[in-house]
Amino acid sequence: MIRWISGLLIINGLIWPTHAETLQFYAWGGSPQVNQYLEWVSEQTQQQFDITVNHVKLADTSDAVSRVLAEKAAGNHSNGNVDLIWINGENFAAMDKHGLLHKNWVSELAHFTLTNPTRNRNMTMDFGIPTNGQEAPWGKAAMVFYFNQRYLSRPPANASALLAFARQHPGRFAYPLPTDYLGISFIKYIALTLSTIEKEQLYQPVTESALDAVTVPLFDYLDKLHPYLWQQGEFFVRQASRLQQLFADNSLLLSFSFTAAEIPAAVSRYDLPLSTRTYAMQDGSLSNVHFIGITYNSAHKSDAMKVVNFLLSPQAQAKKQRVSVWGDETVLDMTRLTQDQQKLFAVDNRHPSSLPPAGHHVLLAEPHTSWTDALRKAWFARYGEHL
Amino acid sequence: MFAATLSLSRWIFILALIVPVGAGVLGVILPALSYFPAIGETEFSLDAFDALGAVQSLPYMIALSLFTGLSATFLALFGTLAMLAVFYQTTGLQWIQRLLSPVLVIPHAAAAIAVGFLIAPSGWPVRLISPALTGWSLPPVFSPLHDAMGIAVIVALTLKALPFILLMALSVLAQPHLSARLNKQLNLAVTMGYHPASTFLKVAWPMLYPAIRLPVIAMLAFATANVEIPLVLGPGSPPTLAVAVLQWFNHIDITMRLQASAAACLQVVVTCSAVLFWLLSERVGAGLISRWQLDGNRVTAARTLKGVAVVTVLGILTAVMLMLASLTVWSFAAHWPFPQALPDAITVLHWASGLTSMQTPLTNTLLLAVPVSLGAVLLSILVLEYEKQRDHCSKLTDKVSGDLLLFIPLLIPGVAFLFGLTWLAQLAQAGQWLPTYVSHFVYVLPYVFLSLAVAYRRFDERYRYVAYGLGASPYNVFVRVTLPLLSAPIAIAFALGLAISFSQYLATLLPGAGAIATITTESVAVSAGGSRRLSAVYTLMQMILPLAGFVLAWWLPAKWFNPAVHSR
Amino acid sequence: MKLNALILDEVEVINNHHRLIRVNTRVSAGSVLTIMGPSGVGKSLLLSAIAGVLPAPFRQQGTIKIGDQDITALPAHRRGLGILYQDPLLFEHLSVAQNIIFGMPPGTNKYVQAEELLAGVGLENYGRKAVQTLSGGQQARVALLRTLAAQPRAVLLDEPFSKLDMQTRAQTRKWVFDTIRQNKLPCIMVTHDEQDARAAEGEVVTVSNSTETI
Repeated sequence: MIRWISGLLIINGLIWPTHAETLQFYAWGGSPQVNQYLEWVSEQTQQQFDITVNHVKLADTSDAVSRVLAEKAAGNHSNGNVDLIWINGENFAAMDKHGLLHKNWVSELAHFTLTNPTRNRNMTMDFGIPTNGQEAPWGKAAMVFYFNQRYLSRPPANASALLAFARQHPGRFAYPLPTDYLGISFIKYIALTLSTIEKEQLYQPVTESALDAVTVPLFDYLDKLHPYLWQQGEFFVRQASRLQQLFADNSLLLSFSFTAAEIPAAVSRYDLPLSTRTYAMQDGSLSNVHFIGITYNSAHKSDAMKVVNFLLSPQAQAKKQRVSVWGDETVLDMTRLTQDQQKLFAVDNRHPSSLPPAGHHVLLAEPHTSWTDALRKAWFARYGEHL
Repeated sequence: MFAATLSLSRWIFILALIVPVGAGVLGVILPALSYFPAIGETEFSLDAFDALGAVQSLPYMIALSLFTGLSATFLALFGTLAMLAVFYQTTGLQWIQRLLSPVLVIPHAAAAIAVGFLIAPSGWPVRLISPALTGWSLPPVFSPLHDAMGIAVIVALTLKALPFILLMALSVLAQPHLSARLNKQLNLAVTMGYHPASTFLKVAWPMLYPAIRLPVIAMLAFATANVEIPLVLGPGSPPTLAVAVLQWFNHIDITMRLQASAAACLQVVVTCSAVLFWLLSERVGAGLISRWQLDGNRVTAARTLKGVAVVTVLGILTAVMLMLASLTVWSFAAHWPFPQALPDAITVLHWASGLTSMQTPLTNTLLLAVPVSLGAVLLSILVLEYEKQRDHCSKLTDKVSGDLLLFIPLLIPGVAFLFGLTWLAQLAQAGQWLPTYVSHFVYVLPYVFLSLAVAYRRFDERYRYVAYGLGASPYNVFVRVTLPLLSAPIAIAFALGLAISFSQYLATLLPGAGAIATITTESVAVSAGGSRRLSAVYTLMQMILPLAGFVLAWWLPAKWFNPAVHSR
Repeated sequence: MKLNALILDEVEVINNHHRLIRVNTRVSAGSVLTIMGPSGVGKSLLLSAIAGVLPAPFRQQGTIKIGDQDITALPAHRRGLGILYQDPLLFEHLSVAQNIIFGMPPGTNKYVQAEELLAGVGLENYGRKAVQTLSGGQQARVALLRTLAAQPRAVLLDEPFSKLDMQTRAQTRKWVFDTIRQNKLPCIMVTHDEQDARAAEGEVVTVSNSTETI
């Protein structure tokens, strides 16, 4: 018996390696490319700083937010489970409001200056809220649409054409529940392009009258769209990634994503049809920057900063931008880089399914973060409880 | 020392079953009564229940939970009855048993995903008949997935429940004293001109049903409160109550936890109502059978039973075969446009990337399953040994209360106590592994114990008496005689423990705060992800793991503890 | 080895408030006491009581002695009573020799001793075999060797030959009784076979089906 137990302990020792430091990086885990990139990051930080980065794969980032909140409520102020967290928008707003993030550390990062924050204001503003050095920019994304060229020669180029497309091809388009990131983004896109109010109002905290003004055309549009959605709009997928699966099945002929690069990558992995093509809407692409925060109760703040600084390095950023890796657009300002560093970002051969160069017509900045919750609540109020 | 260990083990056993469940329920009742200091709620009130009551679709959610749970349990039980009635005392039954046993160890999540593969509009069955028979060049827009009535959920639940109930019934029928008598009675009735199927219905079933009643009710409780299957296959507006509980608990607005806790309490009520309804229906069924018993009709329901049996057997076997085949093909598929019956080409890419990304989940899965299963086997053996040695006193009462205790974690819905357990673990800053071990243990222990108890209680006492006569102490007899002679059932129980632990979804997700990824949690996550092919790889892996455990369990004891193998 | 008798002093087996069987006797070393009676009178329970393994809900009363030593309160494994059932009950996870060694007191050369014992009963070179490969008669012999190897102070036989076929039964019976007598052990046998009783050449106690309320 004792032999058994000691044997088991030895086995445990072998598969539970004891490293100098292990950081818990809570990040959405729904994309194999992102997951593989983070594995590479962990290898690099192990080599360079003897720090292991454990990617805690989240289905929903808000899980991590409520976890830190629960820790704070339980009085765990110095030894939290979450060290690093990948956030933006609403989750950042929630963490900011409850004081869950470590403050004023970003400007200490050597590589942060490469983002040229004085010129690029979106490096320090997250959905209309100043970041106050609580989170470092990591990448940029804009909404793209993709369609199956085998069945569709000319995809809809704007919101009203999208409605016409849905009528013509019932059941071949879908968007996720607004609790999902991509789902609420779709609603914002429609709201931004259809709203008749002053655009400035969308970039300020939401008011009742502004919301009413925005939702009238929005719901008019969605009311018309829903009967023509996949499953007649009675079942909405909970996670955006499911759209890709439905598109791959040919159940959908048109879909959309916030990660342009995942589309050619998925085609190469056979997860999307060869005839998949990516494009951007002419009436605008919703776009935003995503960030990395360090929690206020992380026990490893200085190590976490080392990791974030590495994530901002030209080496890591260039690797991330490569379509074959992840294809997430860099936050570094090319004018701040040396020529050698710029060469790291050179474009590889273009995949037929990827977004054509300069594919975006207009970039639509995210509305003020308060709009997210207001729009979502309005959606659920109108279309009922979907879980 | 040995005796003390044994009696201590009995207490550990009772505590291991009661404390986590009890604490978990408490941890749900408190927030349901609006006591949740983490968000500054320290005054008891019924506000959470008011908020829950205000949810418009609540009655529909409850109805859906009851409907899916009761239907699946009824279908599984009726299918079992029909199969036994038609195939009992034939070689066909052994075949069915052999083919269905592996289905038993398929995790629910995997079964749900596999059913989803099958009934998807672009699934294999549709492809096979398209476009030739259907004219479809695109998958149909209507689909039985996520249907509002939960039919897909019922199919998957039945698929899992039926082998469970059938094998329970077969293990009862395999008891020598029962089967000898029963076979004679059946033969007697047949000579009176009764159709064999009607005979089974009239003679065997009334004796058999009471013996499998508890597992059937546990199955019902499980089916009304299960999360994985309706999460993958069920409707969303509204979902079953258990799925709503899960979604509310995970809601971005942390105050929703109060409503979620209230809903979790309601889930207990719903499950209890289902059980109550079942108990009432049992009376109706018993009345019906007792009327049939004496009506002299020689062919009562014989045709119906035959039809149902054939449909059930063929349905399940085809479904299982098609599921396995289609998962396998998807896992190797390159591009595969609809409506082609086969992919353009095959590739090992998905397996390669799947196996790479599986390393951590696989390690976690084993780190959880092996110690938990080992612990459960050890504890069960000690308790059973205690029972044996205590044979002199209060044997019957001990046994019954002990066995009923086992059903506590099976009857109380996981969504009801796991959240509470997780909350308390967070308060105690117990980390993630310890509470996950505890919650796995709660689920593994009953199955391991029940599986071992059969063999242990049937074990020929005289082996021990002979060994005592040879001067071996109780400890020596236990270690040198009882354990080696029972090595085969012990290994099977261990493998069963592994399989149960492998399959845990909520019991891993919640206490582990999502940080402990296992094959099962990853598989559910991946199934909602972008790659159907990767999902097929994960789902197959979920099926392979427990089977591998059973194959080892069957092979190793024969190798280690059988001198016959060495001498040949 | 001391020559001690096995003494049953008013030993009775009780179920609730019914006395099933009561025996009052003395079995001297080297002789076999046969207890006969129809099935269900509690003959086997009496053996269980003597061996110290009486199952619930039965109780026992009276005193069991070996020579001067009262063993009534001793746990089963310290009574030194070898027991043989109708099934040989050899341990299937052990080889033939290991089964015999299981009963031997600590010592050296146990394998050699076991092989010698086996050779003595016509089972040369059977030591390493698996017990399942032996015939019924061979298994019965190994079972008795195992019992004797533990150097018991008395032997209890519970319908020991009822599962053997006619020819093997006569041979085995003769050999068992001879061996017990050679070893000068007191022995109690429970049986309902008259031939067993005759072959035992000892006192025969016939118990009848009477449950007496006390």
